[in-house]
Amino acid sequence: MLTWLDANLVSILNGLAIGSLLFILAVGLSLVFGMMDVLNLAHGALFLAGAYLGHLFVGQQAGWASFAGALGVAAVIGALAGGGLSVMTEPLAHRSHLDQALLTLGVALVVAELLSIAFGNDVQSVAAPPGLDGSTVVLGSTYPVYRLVLIGIGALLAVAVHVVIERTRLGLLVRAAVADREMVSALGVDERRVKAAVFGIGSALAMVAGVLGGPIYGARPGLDSTVLILALVVVVIGGLGSVRGALIGALVIGQVESLGRVLLADLASFVLFGALALVLVLRPQGLFGARAQART
Amino acid sequence: MTPRTTADAAPPSATAAPEPPRRLLRAAPMAATVVLLAAAPLFLAPYATTTLSRILVFALLAASLDLLVGITGLPSLGHAAYFGVGAYAAGWITIHLTPAVPVPLLAGAAFGGVAAAATGWFAVRSAGVFFLMLTLAIGEIVRQVAQSWDSVTGGSNGLYGIDLPSVAGAPLGNVGLLHWYVLAGAVLGYAVLRAVAASPFGAVLRGIRDNEPRMRALGYRPYGYKLAAFVIAGSVAGVAGALLAAQQRLVTPSDLGFTTAALALLAVVIGGAGTLWGPCLGAAVVVLVRDALGPTLDGHGPLLLGVVFIAVVYLLPRGAAGVRLRRGPGREQSEQEPT
Amino acid sequence: MTESRSTRILFSRRSVLGMLGTAGVVAAVPGCGSSLGGGGDAGGGGQGGAVKVGLVIPQAGVYAPLGVDMQRGWELYLNQHDGRLGDREVTTVVADEGEGPESGVPAVQRVLQRDRVDVVVGIVNSAVALGAVDAVTSAGKLLVVSNAGAGALTGENRNPLTWRTSFANAQVSSALGDHLAGQNLPGGVYLIAPDYAAGEEALGGFREAFEAGGGRIAGEARTPFGTTQDFQPFLAGIRSSGAAATFCFYAGGEAVSFVQQYDSFGLKQTIPLFGSGFLTEGGVLDAQGAAATGVQTSLHYTTELDNPANTAFIDSYTAANGAAPTVYSVQTYDAAAVLDRAIGQAGDVAGTALSEAMGSLGTIEDSPRGPWTFDGQNPRQTYYLREVRRQGQGYVNAVVADLGEFAQPA
Repeated sequence: MLTWLDANLVSILNGLAIGSLLFILAVGLSLVFGMMDVLNLAHGALFLAGAYLGHLFVGQQAGWASFAGALGVAAVIGALAGGGLSVMTEPLAHRSHLDQALLTLGVALVVAELLSIAFGNDVQSVAAPPGLDGSTVVLGSTYPVYRLVLIGIGALLAVAVHVVIERTRLGLLVRAAVADREMVSALGVDERRVKAAVFGIGSALAMVAGVLGGPIYGARPGLDSTVLILALVVVVIGGLGSVRGALIGALVIGQVESLGRVLLADLASFVLFGALALVLVLRPQGLFGARAQART
Repeated sequence: MTPRTTADAAPPSATAAPEPPRRLLRAAPMAATVVLLAAAPLFLAPYATTTLSRILVFALLAASLDLLVGITGLPSLGHAAYFGVGAYAAGWITIHLTPAVPVPLLAGAAFGGVAAAATGWFAVRSAGVFFLMLTLAIGEIVRQVAQSWDSVTGGSNGLYGIDLPSVAGAPLGNVGLLHWYVLAGAVLGYAVLRAVAASPFGAVLRGIRDNEPRMRALGYRPYGYKLAAFVIAGSVAGVAGALLAAQQRLVTPSDLGFTTAALALLAVVIGGAGTLWGPCLGAAVVVLVRDALGPTLDGHGPLLLGVVFIAVVYLLPRGAAGVRLRRGPGREQSEQEPT
Repeated sequence: MTESRSTRILFSRRSVLGMLGTAGVVAAVPGCGSSLGGGGDAGGGGQGGAVKVGLVIPQAGVYAPLGVDMQRGWELYLNQHDGRLGDREVTTVVADEGEGPESGVPAVQRVLQRDRVDVVVGIVNSAVALGAVDAVTSAGKLLVVSNAGAGALTGENRNPLTWRTSFANAQVSSALGDHLAGQNLPGGVYLIAPDYAAGEEALGGFREAFEAGGGRIAGEARTPFGTTQDFQPFLAGIRSSGAAATFCFYAGGEAVSFVQQYDSFGLKQTIPLFGSGFLTEGGVLDAQGAAATGVQTSLHYTTELDNPANTAFIDSYTAANGAAPTVYSVQTYDAAAVLDRAIGQAGDVAGTALSEAMGSLGTIEDSPRGPWTFDGQNPRQTYYLREVRRQGQGYVNAVVADLGEFAQPA
């Protein structure tokens, strides 16, 4: 057991780093869905936009200022984009999931294609900030410092999102809206503004995740759909509309993608969707689904 | 269990079948379309005919998906899996056993149906976005199998060198003959879908779509009906796959991937879910945009596709079929298919 | 549709038949095609006339950068030769291959059926190429593949009308396997590639040559194709295998991630990385940056080759495009070069005549990659061991050793 642990500790650590990034990406998707019933398939395109923003600001010679600048701009643009998406989905509030999914899929295609026109089809890499771009020795293995830092950032953001949702007035409204949307508007709260705020925060987090993920994943066409699928799996496994579910889902998928691929090397291509199918067959509402989302 | 009477089970949209003369009139546009499609190779250049064949294949896939999306209320993101299974089965049998019609078609139908049954029994238990995700997962797993199972599927290179289908020992050696084969298969598959949609069974499916608890209260067990619809749709998608194998003479993992599934869904929404014929029109639009217009945009076809997605959602909430049906008074149930 | 119109259509079967009759007449009029002809037709070529070429390359999607390089190579050759091949005026029809067969095969059908080209050139994706063989050759046309590396294209059961100016996947890696077998690597070599056909063929070619030379395989892994962003789980496997070196096959985005992570997880210093040349070719090398220095690959071309043809080629290519050429540019440039000779020799553009001429071309002496000949419709060419080195602001694949001539392994 000890030797097994010793051999795989780095993979477990790596799963934590990937899980942290996935949490930052997926929490917005989960809240938007839980609250507004909108399945936002443009979420991956926002991540990719963040990655390209990182490439634009940081490129291959990273400085702290440019990295921080990229994060700040990503948050602002992301919030605006989220507000825009909120307005765009407003007329579809009483339509099916399918219509919203198609609309956001259309937005995703347009955004991804515009990015490819702007930045070309070559793979672009993004450097980590100075001091974090090297490697260190953890548990006897070389490990990139930046990924360790990512675990810390993920933990910080998880606490921050938790505080906002559990301790602030906005959080209260969000939780109330997840539980019963009609009741919130009946109480005289402008539900649309709450929705825009949640959409904005979720999208800002997605773009920030894109900048943060840049040094690991780079920026290239096609990355948007890959991360979108990961985020969807996280959200569905964790249960929709729950911050805690998104966190657990992200950590589970981080391990599935990391440790799972080590242990089941021959089935590496199947583990992600296998895990998703298994969870949905056993627990159709996800691991932490608060209630059945049977509305179509 | 047996449904009591269709009249009390069915939602208001499912009216009794019209009397024979009206029915004939209703069938006329369909018959005219088939005649026109059959005549096409006589006056179209080869490439136009090939495009038309490709549209027919995709139209049958879209129509079979419509049985799930529009009539049963099960939006699937993994329907391309059964299309692909049918295509691989038909291709494999053509290469290794016989290209004689109708063997590959039957193989496509059988394997598509079996694959749908094998995955549908647990998929149809979930609903809403969970059904979307579960079908997405199934589609991806099936695609991965196609990619990994080299000895049967040819892996990522695909199953290539598929012989032309042959009738009475003679291969269908030109674009026009191949088109007629595809047309015959597509009409057959479409007829099955129409018959299902128009039957009392189809009325129950619409009832489940509109109000599942009510159907449950009326004594129906939606699970069995949904599963049956899933298998029929999978089987017809398998037929479409068999036609693809004959028309393209190559089957690859991308034929059963997410992109194919999403495009089929787009065709359903563009055309109007629940009408069966609307999605066929939608399929024509999708194939033309992708194959004819896309390449002229300097490789930025996806941009146009994205704009089409957005425009359709806002401008055609009920698809192209809705535009026509909304005009007449008292036609609230636009999804109703003209029987 | 209104009822009166439906009625008319329903009850006038005779008019429908009449329409069919008209259509039959129309079909006989030249220009308004019919789809009921036989297999191939002569097309626009004929004797001494212009020649129409379909250049099928990816213009969208992940392979688009390769398509750009290929088109530049093609156009450079034509510009250097007055837009003529075999002394015939050339019209090039470019079609977008896209990311895979779902767009690539229709593109091939379009240039054949609508544009009626005499020759089809290009194709990056192996599945598209394998699917194109039937369509092109059953129309009696010549197919010149200038990238796709699937072994079957020019393998044992090859089609006589299918030629290739690029490489076979197993050929590129067998050169390296042969070389590494001669090195002293007591820990053996670890093999890793994506779980798709090209990766499998590349590993197979390496394994065969390496084991034939007495080398030992330390372990193998396949990574999920197209969805692997994070290679750490697989890198852990390489480290624990105790291998003395790693051989890999990656291209595009995966090549960038793999090389960068191989470096940042500290494997590059202890377990040297080798690969098929696409690992560090073209745009991916810029993205890999410093992480790629010291990585060694085998390929039949690098900009650093020192021969007069290559120097002249690089000069005019860079002047025309403002960017250095890649192996993809050279392969398509050479496709134009061999077609030039074959058309001149055959005096015809029919597939069989051209194919016969291709077979008797002998050695192509003035290629930027150095002299090469067709061997079984695929090039027999010199392979080079290349190492990534920093040069000025960028990185290049410097020539370390000449590995000798290799043909497609049987």
